[in-house]
Amino acid sequence: MKRTVLVLGAGGYVGRKLMDALSRCEDMQPIACLRRQSSTMGHASVCFDATDPVELEKHISGIDVVVNCIGSDPTVMKHSAQALLQAARSNGPLIVHFSSMAVYGSACGLLDENAPLRGDIGAYANAKVEIERLMASYPRRIILRPGCIYGPGSPAWSSRIARLLKARRLGDLGAAGDGIANLVHVDDVAAAVIAGIRRPECAGQVFNLAMKNPPTWNDYFISFAKALGAVPVRRIGEKMLKAEGKVFAPALKILEILVGKLPVSLDLPPFMSPGLLSLFRQDITLVSEKAERELGLVWKDLETGLRDSALFEEEKK
Amino acid sequence: MISDARTLPDATVLQADFCIVGAGAAGISLALGLSQSGYKVLLLESGGEKEEAATQALYEGHVVNPALHSPTESYRQRRFGGTTTIWGGRCVPYDPLDFEARSYVPHSGWPIGYDEIARYYPQANRLCEAGVFDYRSETAFTRPLKPMIPGFDQRHFTMDTMERFSCPTDFHIRYHDKLSAPNIQILLHANLTRIALSPDGNRVTELEAKTLSGNGFSVRATCFVLCAGGLETVRLLLANRDVHAQGIGNQHDVVGRYYMCHIAGTMGGIHFSIPPASVWNGYDISDEGIYCRRRLALRPEVQKREQLGSFVARLHHPRITDPSHGNGILSALYCAKPFISYEYAKRLFEEDPVSWRDWCHHLKNVALGAPDIMGFAWHMLRDRKLAARKFPSVVIKSRTGLYSLDFHAEQTPDPMSRVGLAHDRDPLGMQKIEIDWRYVSQDVHTVKRSLALLQQDMADSGVGSFDYDPHNVEKEMTRYGAYGGHHIGTVRMGHSPRTSVTNSDCRVHGVANLYLAGSGVFPTSSQANPTLTIVALSLRLADHLQSLDFSGT
Repeated sequence: MKRTVLVLGAGGYVGRKLMDALSRCEDMQPIACLRRQSSTMGHASVCFDATDPVELEKHISGIDVVVNCIGSDPTVMKHSAQALLQAARSNGPLIVHFSSMAVYGSACGLLDENAPLRGDIGAYANAKVEIERLMASYPRRIILRPGCIYGPGSPAWSSRIARLLKARRLGDLGAAGDGIANLVHVDDVAAAVIAGIRRPECAGQVFNLAMKNPPTWNDYFISFAKALGAVPVRRIGEKMLKAEGKVFAPALKILEILVGKLPVSLDLPPFMSPGLLSLFRQDITLVSEKAERELGLVWKDLETGLRDSALFEEEKK
Repeated sequence: MISDARTLPDATVLQADFCIVGAGAAGISLALGLSQSGYKVLLLESGGEKEEAATQALYEGHVVNPALHSPTESYRQRRFGGTTTIWGGRCVPYDPLDFEARSYVPHSGWPIGYDEIARYYPQANRLCEAGVFDYRSETAFTRPLKPMIPGFDQRHFTMDTMERFSCPTDFHIRYHDKLSAPNIQILLHANLTRIALSPDGNRVTELEAKTLSGNGFSVRATCFVLCAGGLETVRLLLANRDVHAQGIGNQHDVVGRYYMCHIAGTMGGIHFSIPPASVWNGYDISDEGIYCRRRLALRPEVQKREQLGSFVARLHHPRITDPSHGNGILSALYCAKPFISYEYAKRLFEEDPVSWRDWCHHLKNVALGAPDIMGFAWHMLRDRKLAARKFPSVVIKSRTGLYSLDFHAEQTPDPMSRVGLAHDRDPLGMQKIEIDWRYVSQDVHTVKRSLALLQQDMADSGVGSFDYDPHNVEKEMTRYGAYGGHHIGTVRMGHSPRTSVTNSDCRVHGVANLYLAGSGVFPTSSQANPTLTIVALSLRLADHLQSLDFSGT
């Protein structure tokens, strides 16, 4: 008998990839939960506001698993998590909740799942910590803490980076890129969800998700630039990075807000916030041996992941 | 943690597992290599975060023949980052042959083989920010490169090997954050003044250090590593004579001997008969953005057959001082001489006086070459001054196919070429150094024969001619004297204390816990610039120190 799996936030990058992966499993019957109807989804879907507990309760009735991929505005994330927990109490499905490595905040060094949750790097991280604490009260839950999810079309960690590399706004950052890029391929993330659903002993567990022996950000940028053909890689100096964080980022953010109010959509250049630039320096390594051991994950090698991502960008062009 | 020794109360005693003296290429690489070890590392640096005249003056000393050697305070920096703060950035690995004992190079041969260093070259290349460790143009580039000299017969010289250029990386700026690891303490303005030994002379018990402000402190550690450079390390070993009367590690009068730099010069005129546009003397940029440059390198089998030291040559612009080159850019550089630092000006310009007629000729070149000069100025502003990875040097493409030959050769180790102590002392009471740099006839032979082979190959290949005066070779190869600020061989490694100062692990013979790092321990100089190998050898030392058993100490 197939397990019914409701994916909240199925319109996002991870949600879509997860829907594809679940659809390929003979023992899963995925249903996408979308905010608004989409003709491009290609999977069974329902459309409702996931922050509404009444709506949620109605839709998770009879559902075996709910995967919470909602990852946007901190307030929306918190409200939807509260609504989910409230709805789940009467139905009791397994919840697979996507948290983030952001819960570790500004911590450095090797961090396994028992490391303290600082969440001291902004509202998003803080919200993720709060939600994890809420989730702790629900026994049939699995919490996943992925690092930076990359892969073909990943808006944050592949497509944005590709555009910045091609524009020579990213490259070899010197000391500013010495931090560890805790990358995890989107296929591995989907595999983690599927393994978690299939293994009852994983209920109540928390898993870091990040590739083994992660590269530094500099290595990631240089390798990706080579895969993209965005060579020679440019060395970006400290002054240029300061300008990115303090001048270009605020200007582009304001522009993004203004453009968002327009009836037409404009493709603005990506920007690098000061928080993102700090991440490139952060010497933090997620220890993900538990996911290897208990979820049976084998991480996709970076070279293959980058080649696929570069190919996607090329085809998009 | 980085702190200032001037704030320490007088007579403070510090404790560490490893105490490193000197925060230059060697000391910083070693500290980085130990940063994950869990051991407490104390790094003493004489200077501060910027150059300070009083500290730099502690390097002042004497040179026996100033025509053959630069002043002792030039080409080295006594500050956090050491001489990497003024480094040109050229990275070249040693070749396997450099490690062999060669009958025609007296006192040659390392106690370790190439493979021992090669294990550390990739990581050293990373620290130097010179890209992947691949120094062959055929494999380092996936795209076809423009031939350097089309049709040149490479039977004696290969054009496949290349040099890579660092940003250049100032190790102080680049690794400042990484050196803030919790187990590393860096103490600035700390000058080592005494190495205290146990009564039997077999162990260092503590180091004593002073600041120029007057306070002093001592350091007790399990191991001590001197990373003070090939000249200063000699001074520190020889100045400590209270237990060993001749200085530490100097029972057989080896410390300070075998002093080498490189033999370098600019020679003759090459006139290509092939189309000038087909000749390539510039930089190739790798995919990672690294500036790489091919050169003519004397093949190892030719070195053996001809009994020559290692030798490389590059196509160079004609001599700047001679205005008959007719090049506006070169003449403009000559006119800008007062604005170029001593270390670089020494090589660009000669000290021979230039006549008023030549001055006029230079000015005429500048006037006629104004558009080229503007283009060159823009290129240097954009690609060197403002760029985070700097264009490494002045490269002038000759429209007429005229070049000179810039060569860089191995210097033979010679015990008579030496660094010792003078009688006068610096403000901290340390005896100053005295340098008596010498070269031998084998060095002249290497250059003479290599040039002759090159001349023959040019002619036989039919690509052009190389004209020079063979009687002038010795004068030209010593025009700049000991070249490059590369201070090599003074505390060389080897098997026997009779001919070396350290063993193959860089530990001073007869002293259980005193190690040396830097180019001073290299037994031979190769043609290669030393920084990359300094870093590689320091990383090797870091591994060795971590492998030691400290239980019971």
